Amino acid sequence: MTDVTQRSDVIAGTVQLQARHLTRHFTTRIPGRGFNAKHIVRAVDDVSLDLVAGEVVAVVGESGSGKSVLARMLARIIRPTSGDLILHGSEIPRKAKRSLSYASEVQLVLQDPFASMNPVHKMRHNLVRPLMIHGAKRENVEALAEAALTRVSLEPPSRFLDRYPHELSGGQLQRVSIARALCIEPRVLLADEPISMLDVSVRLGVLNLLRGLCDDDHLAILYITHDIASARYIADEVVVMYAGQVVEHSRGTVLVDEPTHPYTQLLIASVPDPADPTSVGAPTAEQAQMVIAEKGCRFSPRCPFVMDRCRVEEPPQFVVGENHTSRCWLHADKPQFEVEVALPQRRGEGEITKT
Amino acid sequence: MSTESIEASDVVTSASATSDVSVETTPHTDQRTGGPAMGQRILDIRNFSVDYGWGESAVRAVNSVDLHLDRSKVLGIAGESGSGKSTLVYGFTRLLRAPGVISGGEALFNRGPSEDGTDDIIDLVTASEKELRSVRWSNISVVLQSALSALNPVVRIGKQFEQVLKTHRHEMSRADRHARQVELLALVGLNEDRLRRYPHELSGGQRQRVMIALALALDPQLVIMDEPTTALDVVTQREIISKLYELRSRFGFAMIFITHDLSLLVELADEIVVMYGGEMVERASAQALYDTPRHPYTLGLLNSFPPMHGVRTELTGIPGSPPDLTALPTGCNFHPRCPYAMDRCLQESPTLVELGDDGRSVACWLHSGDPGVVVPVELSRTGMGTREPAPLPVKEALS
Repeated sequence: MTDVTQRSDVIAGTVQLQARHLTRHFTTRIPGRGFNAKHIVRAVDDVSLDLVAGEVVAVVGESGSGKSVLARMLARIIRPTSGDLILHGSEIPRKAKRSLSYASEVQLVLQDPFASMNPVHKMRHNLVRPLMIHGAKRENVEALAEAALTRVSLEPPSRFLDRYPHELSGGQLQRVSIARALCIEPRVLLADEPISMLDVSVRLGVLNLLRGLCDDDHLAILYITHDIASARYIADEVVVMYAGQVVEHSRGTVLVDEPTHPYTQLLIASVPDPADPTSVGAPTAEQAQMVIAEKGCRFSPRCPFVMDRCRVEEPPQFVVGENHTSRCWLHADKPQFEVEVALPQRRGEGEITKT
Repeated sequence: MSTESIEASDVVTSASATSDVSVETTPHTDQRTGGPAMGQRILDIRNFSVDYGWGESAVRAVNSVDLHLDRSKVLGIAGESGSGKSTLVYGFTRLLRAPGVISGGEALFNRGPSEDGTDDIIDLVTASEKELRSVRWSNISVVLQSALSALNPVVRIGKQFEQVLKTHRHEMSRADRHARQVELLALVGLNEDRLRRYPHELSGGQRQRVMIALALALDPQLVIMDEPTTALDVVTQREIISKLYELRSRFGFAMIFITHDLSLLVELADEIVVMYGGEMVERASAQALYDTPRHPYTLGLLNSFPPMHGVRTELTGIPGSPPDLTALPTGCNFHPRCPYAMDRCLQESPTLVELGDDGRSVACWLHSGDPGVVVPVELSRTGMGTREPAPLPVKEALS
């Protein structure tokens, strides 16, 4: 159990939390096919990433891409099917229960600030409770709560402590929920679509706040979003997920400026761009509905560049530039080397199995 | 008529549950051709105000708005939550529920030429329930934001179409209705087997497309879209927008598109109205609004979208929070958040005045023409296509 004190000792660049081959499969029943017909949904498949102090990693993908499941696995709310979490260099035993000490290091901020605050309690309660749970002394609690509010630029804090959630605007409430996550001084902040429910004019404020926490307090931040423009704005590293897999991954925002995967290109083409009036009515994908191929590349049913090979073989991650990988066969014949060997098709996956 | 029909009508157009569904006397003639008199104008809203609550506790949510819309045009209404954009639309379509009260103004809707050649104009504000009933869905239809809560969860999609057609188109036979349902689904790119599905079996994008198909079921002249894509991700949003664009050019209905996403409107709309604190602050053609914004709030909104190209610079958005309608500031509603606020803004509320160029108007003291007021360069630009994000200090740590 760590004491709740200011941690200014974190050096930027130290790896805080590592995910290694994180995988989560859900088993669902197929309606109308009897009780035993099962279908495996590969919500997250073999995702590895490092969260580093002082850096923002953005995970971009549409709904159903597995990005929220990934965040919940990193917060240890959902247990991975396989894969490991390494916090500060020590592996978390997979079977271990979610512990308070883990929660004090890794905190999650949710999408909807109205739903994530108890509506019948004042802000004071919402902030003091995590502090008490994490062992702060009763006499310090008030001061710590005020300090947390000051940190997210809600000033003067005394004005906000006695307010109920419905008395605050969405932007203010999201700041309180960030303050609530920060008040126990975690080193990793997982932000699951923190701005998508907010008004346009206050979104940038929250993004700038996250960036500031990262730069000044060396927090490691995972920023989950479907808005690739905001990822470009805030991130040091961008990961694009499709159907549970990382399809493109780059240091900096190279992948936004020079996307190499057709799915990333689709995401970018979908962003409203007033500077380009031709984008209205432009053809998007072959099929905009999310259809996941059971075999081969998962994007192949929607891909405008689909080749025969894509329908049969699952592409590995190809290196397409410095710190830039892309999971697409289009890059197979370019002079480069494979970082990973393609995983052999596991039996039974994505197929209907009778048990 | 079964109670289900009432529910179905209630869900999409809120066709007032008080009016009996079986009392259906207005003949449904196809009135899709334009006429003279009001001319191309399909909707004319004058001095329209909506309050929430009565007497002293009343909060003005929409304050003296003037709007008009021509046939086959797209009007975009942009604003944050609490700006009154949805209240305005629910107000003039008379879908507002208590404690919402229309406190003034008129909303003239032109149904096209009647038999004697004159325009069949109806004031929606004073219309009786019976008159409204003949307008709703047949002439004006609404697509709501949350397709999951707008569709009846325990009724199959096909049945929801069936209810609309059965209620409003008596003359159609069972086979005709089925054919129409299949046709409507095909319009929005859905397969006919979706008719047998329940709403929860469809994805968010598919549900929203069902909503659009439902709205088009009776060939309306005006379709109102209340944030139809806000709950969807960008790829699905793009797909829905492309679909709408295609349908509009095919059928030529007019559209009012409400959203907080100004960049989307610039692409889609012919004319854009920006609302703030219940008032219209700027009205201009889409491209003019984007290239040469005149109101500081519009400029702030445009600068709130991180760009997809160019150097990463730190953007500021708009400081502060959206206004609280119960405690509006004195003078201009926007002055507490406005970087250009002057003494006059604190005392007097600006009115919407027409600027000389191309019929656009703005409510801001900066454009009052007062010789003592210097309009900042970013709000007085003239050239089209010259807009760049206002350069702000580069934050090096970002790259």
